[in-house]
Amino acid sequence: MDTREKVIQELDKRYNRLVGTSATNLCTHCGWCIESCHIFKATGNPEHSPVAKAEKVRRVLKRKHDWLSRLFPKWTGAKDLTESDLDEWIEAAFKNCTLCERCVINCPMGVETPQILATARGVLTAMGKSPEILNQLTDAAIAREENMEMMEGFFRKQIANLEKQVQERMNDSNARIPVSEEADILYVPLSGAHTMVPAALIFNAAKANWTMSLFEASNYGVFVADIPKAKKVVERVLKEAKKVKAKTLVVTECGHAYGVLKWEAPKWFGKQFDFEVKSLLEVMNDYIQEGKIVLDPSKNSEPVTYHDPCNIGRKGGIFEEPRNVIQASSKEYKEMTPSKVENFCCGGGSGMVACSEWTEDRLLYGTVKVEQIKKTNAKKVVTACDNCLHQIKELGEKNNLNISVSNVSEHLANALVFS
Amino acid sequence: MDSQSFMHFVEYELQAIAITWMVVMYTIKAVQLSRLPMPWEKEKPKGSGAKGILRSYGSIFMPWSVESSRKHMGRWIGFSLYHVGCLVAIVNTFTYTFTPGMMTPTVKIVFSALIAPAIFIGFIKFYNRLSRPELRHISTPDDYFSLLSLQLFFFTGIMALLLDTVFWRSSYYIITAAFLFYVPFSKISHYIYFFFARFLTGKRYGWRGIIPQK
Ligand code: SF4
Ligand code: SF4
Repeated sequence: MDTREKVIQELDKRYNRLVGTSATNLCTHCGWCIESCHIFKATGNPEHSPVAKAEKVRRVLKRKHDWLSRLFPKWTGAKDLTESDLDEWIEAAFKNCTLCERCVINCPMGVETPQILATARGVLTAMGKSPEILNQLTDAAIAREENMEMMEGFFRKQIANLEKQVQERMNDSNARIPVSEEADILYVPLSGAHTMVPAALIFNAAKANWTMSLFEASNYGVFVADIPKAKKVVERVLKEAKKVKAKTLVVTECGHAYGVLKWEAPKWFGKQFDFEVKSLLEVMNDYIQEGKIVLDPSKNSEPVTYHDPCNIGRKGGIFEEPRNVIQASSKEYKEMTPSKVENFCCGGGSGMVACSEWTEDRLLYGTVKVEQIKKTNAKKVVTACDNCLHQIKELGEKNNLNISVSNVSEHLANALVFS
Repeated sequence: MDSQSFMHFVEYELQAIAITWMVVMYTIKAVQLSRLPMPWEKEKPKGSGAKGILRSYGSIFMPWSVESSRKHMGRWIGFSLYHVGCLVAIVNTFTYTFTPGMMTPTVKIVFSALIAPAIFIGFIKFYNRLSRPELRHISTPDDYFSLLSLQLFFFTGIMALLLDTVFWRSSYYIITAAFLFYVPFSKISHYIYFFFARFLTGKRYGWRGIIPQK
């Protein structure tokens, strides 16, 4: 089978109603979406507009599925796939689109450009052309489960060290970080301590019945649209949730992990899970509303703003909870403009942060975010996703923004008052 | 064929054939799309799918709620006037034929006045497509042809309304029929896909509590 046939076959596998609707004549080439994209805004390159990126894939889909394009491809801009198209797809789908969906909410027709580009990502992965680092990170997550016997002892030792830090900060020798024990809440962190210690402080302060997962929440399989592998990464946590009899699975502050575990994975597995999936943001908000934790906002005295990660906000539906948490734990809160559903992507989403070969581009794509931050006059940016955190830190350094950056739980933990 | 029977043919038989053709084509397209797999949400909703769908359809009439309209109000007004012009020009093909008594001189002037801005906006669209590099970059022959054929449709519609001669009326109906034959294949068929797309996106966004925003 030649490349073209294989690509068409892979496209066919992914051609669902959502893609099919956006892949033919829905797009009127009106250009309304152009200025909604942070990448086009940063570069001004016509190739970087949402519609131009989608068109690179759509013209191949049209050639197969659109009647007029089958007969007169030149008339509709359709074309047969060539080897060089795949290189253009890599640029369009991986490097020049963070799948942030900002163009979707700004398109009068409702064209789902990111769905088209995510389809291209899946095809490129099947063709062995997706960024190698993203595939390696996916495989590493799967290998972690396969080698758990070897890894577990080391992991538990690390957690024991973190537990000591928690006990010291709380001045309470009974504070614990239980690992993979029976509990109501299974908390799934990332591999960094900044997603473990603040969460442990909060769970202990709220006297929650919780346990920490042996696995990390991140799932690079979704960035390369390799759903079978992404499912395997999720399965590890599902098995553990069953083992610990969790009633709630709490996902740490990681945009794509929340999107996967809350919304996408139930679709992949074709069912709602036996437990509830919540973001740590929602749980922190619940604890504040229920009076389970006491806060001293003066401990966070600098003006602070919040960056809505695309996967948490525009794609995930969590807007108010982080704001409530930050406002309850800070003296001065400044809203970014635009924000919530209209917020701009930081430029580091959908795997960009992991692809070091595109670092310069990524930092350029953060130009709009830099301007947004400057306008708030905030001294601290709080966000709820590790990729955004990393990107905003680098943007701050590169552009001399003179800001500190943290996730919401670190910010909240800093304001906790321990009784 | 004398001019009266020619007029009858273009107003009735030709239109009936063209509309039937268009409906059949759209039905085939709709069935094809409906048969594609659709990954519906499985997790319990954070918001309401129904509210999301309503908002998704409604946002086109709520320019303040979408940045791309809010920041370019002139463009949104142009978009609205253009589509009003389209609607009136289509409605006119029916009213002219089936309710001639309704087509008083005043109604004809009102209809013409509603269609005329669409011609003006059509020229602006054409100019933008040629002059803005990011629009030129994505434009296809179908984009230009669709725009020009709509201009012709509007123009003959106005001329038929104002002059009411056999030439302009028959031109209007012939162009309408040609248009109906072509539309299902061109990007003008976006208005059919619009209902699918807005439904799917609105349902997902509503379900996840993303829209409507509080
Ligand atoms: S994606 Fe939407 S906004 Fe962008 S050109 Fe196409 S129809 Fe217009
Ligand atoms: S999803 Fe985001 S990054 Fe991709 S084209 Fe749309 S606005 Fe640009």
